[in-house]
Amino acid sequence: MNNTNIYKPIKSKLLEVIEESPTIKTFVLKPEHNFNFHTGQFVELVVDGVGEAPFTPSSSPLIKDRIDITVMQTGYVTERLHQMKGGETLGIRGPYGRGYPLEKLYDKEVLILGGGCGFAPLRSLLYNLEAEQERVKKVTFCYGSKSPQECIYEPYIDELRNIPKFEVMRTVDEADESWTEQVGVATVLLDKIDVNIDDSVAVVVGPPIMMKFSVQKLLEMGYPEHNIYLSMEKNMSCGLGKCGHCMMGEYFVCKDGPVFSYDEIKDKPDIWK
Amino acid sequence: MNKYYSLTRHDWEKSLANLINDFGIYAPLFYGEQQDYELIEAESIPHIVYNQPKPATPLKTFFMPVEENVVHIEPPPRRKIILGIPSCDLEAANIQDEMYLNRDYVDPVYKKNRDACILIGTDCHSIQEHCHCTTYGIKPYPQSNHDLTLSLFGGVIYLYTHSEKGAELIKEMEKHTTFHEPTENEIQSLLDKRKEVEEWLNHNNQGLPDYRKTGELVNQSNQEIWKKYSETCVSCGACATICPTCTCFLLMERPGFEKVRHLDACQYPGFEKVAAGEDPLSPLHKRFYNRYMCKYVWKPQKFESTACTGCGRCIEACIGNINKNELFMELANH
Ligand SMILES: Cc1cc2nc3c(=O)[nH]c(=O)nc-3n(C[C@H](O)[C@H](O)[C@H](O)COP(=O)(O)OP(=O)(O)OC[C@H]3O[C@@H](n4cnc5c(N)ncnc54)[C@H](O)[C@@H]3O)c2cc1C
Ligand code: SF4
Ligand code: SF4
Ligand code: FES
Repeated sequence: MNNTNIYKPIKSKLLEVIEESPTIKTFVLKPEHNFNFHTGQFVELVVDGVGEAPFTPSSSPLIKDRIDITVMQTGYVTERLHQMKGGETLGIRGPYGRGYPLEKLYDKEVLILGGGCGFAPLRSLLYNLEAEQERVKKVTFCYGSKSPQECIYEPYIDELRNIPKFEVMRTVDEADESWTEQVGVATVLLDKIDVNIDDSVAVVVGPPIMMKFSVQKLLEMGYPEHNIYLSMEKNMSCGLGKCGHCMMGEYFVCKDGPVFSYDEIKDKPDIWK
Repeated sequence: MNKYYSLTRHDWEKSLANLINDFGIYAPLFYGEQQDYELIEAESIPHIVYNQPKPATPLKTFFMPVEENVVHIEPPPRRKIILGIPSCDLEAANIQDEMYLNRDYVDPVYKKNRDACILIGTDCHSIQEHCHCTTYGIKPYPQSNHDLTLSLFGGVIYLYTHSEKGAELIKEMEKHTTFHEPTENEIQSLLDKRKEVEEWLNHNNQGLPDYRKTGELVNQSNQEIWKKYSETCVSCGACATICPTCTCFLLMERPGFEKVRHLDACQYPGFEKVAAGEDPLSPLHKRFYNRYMCKYVWKPQKFESTACTGCGRCIEACIGNINKNELFMELANH
């Protein structure tokens, strides 16, 4: 825990706003004091007097004095966020929940599947694995986006492609003439990957529909349920396992998750909603 | 520590008149058909209601008011004595405590409010139409979470200490009042009364499935029954906000990085709506069903304390006349 009153945010200076796509921006924040999180844990980002919303940091958990949060504009809070400029002050509560199970990924061939803004939380995982690359056998990152314009983190893709243990594959639903990679929904990439499934663990983050079809496909390919990890998105208010908004069966997604293995949640109601 | 004391009603009321100088005392008063907790003043002391179920508002509202700032925390209020709490509401504090005071995150506002209260429980000497505590394993007399038990019986006030805090209050009162030690016969009559009320409740709720069976019944039900019973629901959320074991809330921002907490209810539309517009609880019957799954299936899987005390308030509060006991009878008989 970072402070004594669980509801009180840590003030954080907005250093920079990076435009990633027409609807996605990254907010680079400097918290009042160092901030520790485990990759895949999330924070509540507070816009003073407006509202707060849960986001998973997209920066490396190994950096303690700065935190990047990549936000897609979708509604009330995110719209106000997108209007903010460097120099303003935001609040952060957290970190909350259970992140990616790094220990389950060590010594494995890691398959990472991201859709749309799902790349944001996965970038933090990729940074983490990059820093610990001697501990994994290989990392295959598949990324699907609607259009080439909506592909985010272009420079980071190039960086990843230069790491021998890392392979990156991308697809867009609709290509234009500049696009040289795959075309089709995210799952088409799964037909192209070269992974030893018996020695592999998969992590999937993206819109519900993408996660649903990805899981189906991974199961068909032979991934056991307990080796498929997902980050679930539910309505959240407190982030502390108290307010009840994020309940999925008996789980509080904010506290018991947001990362679950598929076998933990497959029987819960409305997991894809 | 556990000891019986008795005093005349006259001496008790004189004693209360002294205590109101040092404590905010809340006790049930009658309004028409309903009784509810009120801040007691000298004039209202003779009108306090004893041993009758049950204040309209549950005890939880003292710890979780409808609205409260959770960042700018007001200093602890004047110490409070809450008088006339029925056993069901004292038991309901268990799940509230598990939720708000767990090891991982202690809720500072709940804790402040809870610590400021001396809780005086009361035996129920009568029952209301929808009371069904015993069906769910709760006795109609205080068992836990209280500092003192109080009963008015045969014109005499009986107190029983249950905690250090309770014993201290007795000491405080002893400065102005003389207590007696009740005879064994008097105590026996109190205990007999308890038994009588318990039997009365059991008789009244014959056939109603108990708390072990409710979860199974809800889990095995089909959606038709939820559609049928939610037909007259208007999503007012009364069933949840008045429920002593419901714990949901919503945080709202205030300028200066402050936050106000509001009681919330899964019966309100949009409770689980996410940014993309998906809302698993959008159909009314699914919202209605959700509350039952929460109380009888999910909470029992996750928490040690009971998530329904059988107080019957949700039945009384429902403007759609939805009766959960009828629903369970129907589930049990199919
Ligand atoms: C664990 C987790 C991690 C996430 N990570 C990311 C990420 O890295 N990047 C990203 O872009 N998105 C992420 N999201 C999604 C993000 O939280 C939503 O896009 C965001 O909540 C949308 O907020 P909004 O107010 O703009 O949207 P809206 O559609 O306006 O609101 C979304 C929900 O918030 C509630 N709400 C709206 N206004 C208020 C208000 N004033 N007060 C209280 N509640 C209100 C509404 O009830 C609604 O259900 C994540 C979600 C979760 C659960
Ligand atoms: S569900 Fe109804 S009977 Fe059960 S504790 Fe809540 S209000 Fe009382
Ligand atoms: S009190 Fe009745 S009408 Fe109101 S939300 Fe509950 S079930 Fe529906
Ligand atoms: S967000 Fe409040 S319980 Fe999960």
